[in-house]
Amino acid sequence: MKAPTRRAIAKQQTRAKVLAAARRLFSEQGYEGATIRDIAAAAGMSTGAVFANFTDKSDLFREIMLTDMSALADAMRSAAAGAPSADQALLKMFMAGYVFYQTQLPLARAAFSVGWSPQDGPALRSAPPVQVLHELLLGELNRAAARGEIGADADLDLRAQMLFEAYLSNYPQAIFGGWNLAALEARSRDQIAILLAGARRN
Amino acid sequence: MGISSTIIDRGDATGGQTATPSSPAPTGSRQTQKEATRLRVIEAARELFDTQGYQGTTIREIARHANVSVGSVFTTFASKGEILSQVMQDRLDGLYAELDRVMPHLRGGTVDRLRTMFAIHFAFEVQHTRLFLAHIAAAYDWTLPEAAKPMGKNTRLQQIILDALAKGVGDGDVDGAIEAQEIIDLLMAAYAWAYRLAAWNGADAAGMTEVMDRQIGLIANGFAPR
Repeated sequence: MKAPTRRAIAKQQTRAKVLAAARRLFSEQGYEGATIRDIAAAAGMSTGAVFANFTDKSDLFREIMLTDMSALADAMRSAAAGAPSADQALLKMFMAGYVFYQTQLPLARAAFSVGWSPQDGPALRSAPPVQVLHELLLGELNRAAARGEIGADADLDLRAQMLFEAYLSNYPQAIFGGWNLAALEARSRDQIAILLAGARRN
Repeated sequence: MGISSTIIDRGDATGGQTATPSSPAPTGSRQTQKEATRLRVIEAARELFDTQGYQGTTIREIARHANVSVGSVFTTFASKGEILSQVMQDRLDGLYAELDRVMPHLRGGTVDRLRTMFAIHFAFEVQHTRLFLAHIAAAYDWTLPEAAKPMGKNTRLQQIILDALAKGVGDGDVDGAIEAQEIIDLLMAAYAWAYRLAAWNGADAAGMTEVMDRQIGLIANGFAPR
């Protein structure tokens, strides 16, 4: 394999510096408040250098989110591994997410701002790493159906989507309401029970 | 026992702008003028948001369209997000007046009543789904002051759901032991999702209602008496 050129390494370092500066500014000033100029200044480079690597602010933000979503998917997958029931596996997934964002709630807040935006929302929502989170939830339901725990005909796709929305719906409590992990866990457990109630086979 | 809890309705929409009892009342004409500016800004913003979207509209344009100075917009509203919040609230006031009138007469069980109630929402808002998403997004905007009421704080809708659930407990089709706020939050999440479906995937009011009906049915499995 050919070693990367010095130029490629320099480009990679520039991108990493911009991303680190952007992550910090989005966390401090929100998505709306952080400008490309500020981000360039914080990274110690020109706005031109930023634009040479990213098309615009939403591109920059999406890159940060997608990196995080991939890490989050890994965390959810390993948290849920070996859980004895769908309820417990789903709860562990939810909690892996809340733990992941516990120390970076301002960034989560910015993500919601972008995710609901009529302009930038669809690209973020339909990005493959976000879809992976939905598929993780659906996979858990499918496994539960295979075990006979829930019905295979119980609208699993819709249920997975609703579980994902329920998972997201608790972030405002953490961001604005100061809920701790224990409160989030209690709420999540109930939500999961409600959303699985009609699917159970007794 | 969340079912018996009540939600305090929002107070004055402008929140912090209200004069404190100790401060002298503003002179009548200044108060009138300020109110006139406020109404003009809201009217101008409503038109611009509808035609060019929330993100595509600047405070400067709103001021120009309302024929007032940018400065006087800012003496009335702290940010664009707050203007949006007021625009939405004014429109929704009409909807909730209608729902207050209709809800007591709705027939059927709790599930049917909830479905009808949300269908009325979608029929009312279907022309403004992108604006509604901006309204939700604004809840996470750093520049939005505490006084503004983004979507998640829509206590009117939450109170209507709460009342419907309480009636359901009385009628015997809702489990009295459920935590009402949990059901409300799930319904609100489903409600918001329907707007995304409309704004991004082009669903019409019927499409929004259809997916909401399925979600209500599914949530209802969780609040049915055991």
